Amino acid sequence: MSRFVTRSAARVRRRLRPALAALACVVGLWSALAWGWDRERLTESAAKLSPRTQAAVRAMIQMAERAAAQPDERDRLTTVNDFFNQRVAFRDDIEVWGQIDYWATPLEMLDKGAGDCEDYAIGKYMSLLAAGVPQSRLRMVYVRAQFQGRPQAHMVLAYYPQPEAEPLILDNINPEIRAASLRPDLTPVFSFNGEGLWSGVGATTAGNPLVRLSLWRDLLAKAKAEGF
Amino acid sequence: MSLIRQIWCLVLGAVLASVLGGVAVSTWSLRELLQTQAQLKNADNANALALALSQQKGDAELMSLLISAQFDAGAYESVRWRDAGGAQVFERHLETPQISHAPGWFVALLPLEVAAGVAKVSDGWKSAGEIELRGQTGYVHEALWRATLSTASWLLLVGVVTGVAAAIVLSRLRRPLDTAVRQAEGVTQGRFETVLEPRVPEMRKLTSAMNTMVVRTRQMFEAQAEQLRTLHHQLLCDELTGLSHRRQFVAELNSALERDDGPLRAGLVLLRLKDLQGLNQRLGHGATDQALVAIAQALRVYPEQVRGCLAGRLNGSDFALWLPAPNVVGDTAQALADALRAGLQNLGSGVGVALGAVELMRDQPMSAWFAAADAALAKAEQGEGVVLELREAPPSDEVAQGERAWRALISDALAQQRSRLLEFPLIGRDRQVLHLECPLQLKLNPVGEFEPAARWLPLALRHRLSAEADLQALALALQASQQDRRPRCVNVAPASLNDGSFIARARELVQAAPSAARRQIGLELAEPAAVQHFEALQELGRQLRPLGVQLGLEHAGAGLAQIDRLFQAGLDYVKLDSAVVSGVSADVARAAFVRSLVVMLRSLSLKVYAEGVTDALDAQALWDCELDGITGPWASAQEIKP
Repeated sequence: MSRFVTRSAARVRRRLRPALAALACVVGLWSALAWGWDRERLTESAAKLSPRTQAAVRAMIQMAERAAAQPDERDRLTTVNDFFNQRVAFRDDIEVWGQIDYWATPLEMLDKGAGDCEDYAIGKYMSLLAAGVPQSRLRMVYVRAQFQGRPQAHMVLAYYPQPEAEPLILDNINPEIRAASLRPDLTPVFSFNGEGLWSGVGATTAGNPLVRLSLWRDLLAKAKAEGF
Repeated sequence: MSLIRQIWCLVLGAVLASVLGGVAVSTWSLRELLQTQAQLKNADNANALALALSQQKGDAELMSLLISAQFDAGAYESVRWRDAGGAQVFERHLETPQISHAPGWFVALLPLEVAAGVAKVSDGWKSAGEIELRGQTGYVHEALWRATLSTASWLLLVGVVTGVAAAIVLSRLRRPLDTAVRQAEGVTQGRFETVLEPRVPEMRKLTSAMNTMVVRTRQMFEAQAEQLRTLHHQLLCDELTGLSHRRQFVAELNSALERDDGPLRAGLVLLRLKDLQGLNQRLGHGATDQALVAIAQALRVYPEQVRGCLAGRLNGSDFALWLPAPNVVGDTAQALADALRAGLQNLGSGVGVALGAVELMRDQPMSAWFAAADAALAKAEQGEGVVLELREAPPSDEVAQGERAWRALISDALAQQRSRLLEFPLIGRDRQVLHLECPLQLKLNPVGEFEPAARWLPLALRHRLSAEADLQALALALQASQQDRRPRCVNVAPASLNDGSFIARARELVQAAPSAARRQIGLELAEPAAVQHFEALQELGRQLRPLGVQLGLEHAGAGLAQIDRLFQAGLDYVKLDSAVVSGVSADVARAAFVRSLVVMLRSLSLKVYAEGVTDALDAQALWDCELDGITGPWASAQEIKP
């Protein structure tokens, strides 16, 4: 979504609508991935990539294990947030992938060493799940960000310690984890996670037209195949 | 399983599998599609609703109103809004249950699993719980049911069309197949028939090969028959006139007098060309021969046109004509005399022919016949030109008893089963009994003796009772063979074949008997029947031979060669008449004739037996001629193996 950072606010608004419409499909697919990854598969998938990527994946797995060992969930958030904010350089999809919008799996993001806002959010989301954080406490949130004096379409990961509580925001623009009320630059629009949706229909269902309808099938299939 | 049935099973199986499979696959995939669509709708609507609710800044009234509006405007089963803690905040659901018109079993067979659409609602950063939404799905089963019905009816239509097409193709295939099978069966049963070649190429080759084989067999048979005719002519006939010579005529007459199924009364005409020597001197050899040939030609008409008539040249000037029918001798002799008068006219007035005609009871010995005819001839010789002297014996007292009385006697004897079978063995080369010949005897008078067929059969024939008698003989033979397991043969009068129900009733009788008994039974017909009732004879074979009954000809003689279609008859054996086989030991020419008869009949895979053999020397000569069996007084006198 951070492609909008370089574009005008008018275009942002125009773009936001179809993006949200497409959301319906996307949301469904989140649930399809039973998060928590398969370490061996992941290592195996990384083995086909460059030694640098393999090292990065090893680091990610170790980081997730380290986070899982931490008793306080707040500490886990910091570990995961820092890992991705430090390792991954922010770059637009059009530069990295040659496409206007592309949701990369964490493995792809680490391989490129770069990603945009939703790639960060996806990576953090998956890693936190792997670190043992319940899915119900995590939400991907579409937000309107006031950045460099202009409104931008952006995506962050929100963490809810309790269902009714104010969330903590894991962002790549501001690497520090802060309570939502301390982020006046962000206006939430819509949130989703993979919880409770599409019970009975797995992403693996071969030939499921639901999956085919979505532009993100490739991402999900790839993530699954890579061991996420 | 027959080939046709296998193909049918294959076609039906394929059609059924494609109909059932087609319906199942289309219904299943349609269900998948509808289910997916319903789920997609749930998810999309849940997300859209959640998105709208998230913009209401947590105003619960407004949000409930939005949910209600969405619910009322759309086709939903239920819409629920739960807060972040999972407690229900607002809910709408359909009050009346949806009615599906699809049958219950169909709904049970194809359950729909449409998950609810769930989406998160938020109020700014605060979670406002989630929306769970279900669309109506009642229409799905109805749509599915209708689609299944139309798919099934279309596929059934295709199946029926396929079935009809298959039936047409199979019937086209079946006809030539059945024909070929019938032909093959016919060949194994000794019926060599050609059939029309079918249009199916494979079948055509088969049929064409079979036809060629049959035609070759026929040609072989015809060549042999032709040879036999020549031989018959050369060996057993007078050289000049072509009529049977004396010895042959006497043998034939003897056989005609002894057979059971002849008429009660018959006629004999003797003819003499008067003063043969004088004619020779007066007119010369050529003219005399011409006169003899003219007489022979006038006579030959009868045996050629009426089966059973016999004509022969007894010596240089004497001829004889045997007429196996009552009350015809007068007219016949008169007609003959007229024909001779016309035929001999151009030879001059000096040529005279005497005719002596007699009609006697057939049970008279041959000497009596000749004595009576000679006496009549002597009387006729006293006249000039062509003279006829006719003598008819008065009707016997039996006939005088009245036709009605006879009919009653015979039918009573049959109805009360005052009947029995005699048994005469037919023995093979090793003295083993091949079968027993079983003529039927009836006790016409309840307190009298059993009487042989010769006495009552002619009357039974006249009164159309022969079929009854033959069926009774068949029943008795089946009974006897069932008890002692010995093979038996019974006669069938040719007249019985004229009785429309005879064959069907005979078949019923045979079918009712155990198969071990029916395989012991043979039916035999006199050779003339083979010509006069050829179709009926074939039908008899077709009906009874598959049940195990054997079919044969008796009293067969030179006439066999004249049966053009003997190769189509479907017979098991032929019994040569005593007129053919008697005296075979003393007559090399006769032996040669018998031998070639045997060769011809063997080529049709028929067994050949000799009947009426009285003489041990004849029997030995017949064994030398390769016959399969012998019956007659000689055979009955042999010590036979059981």
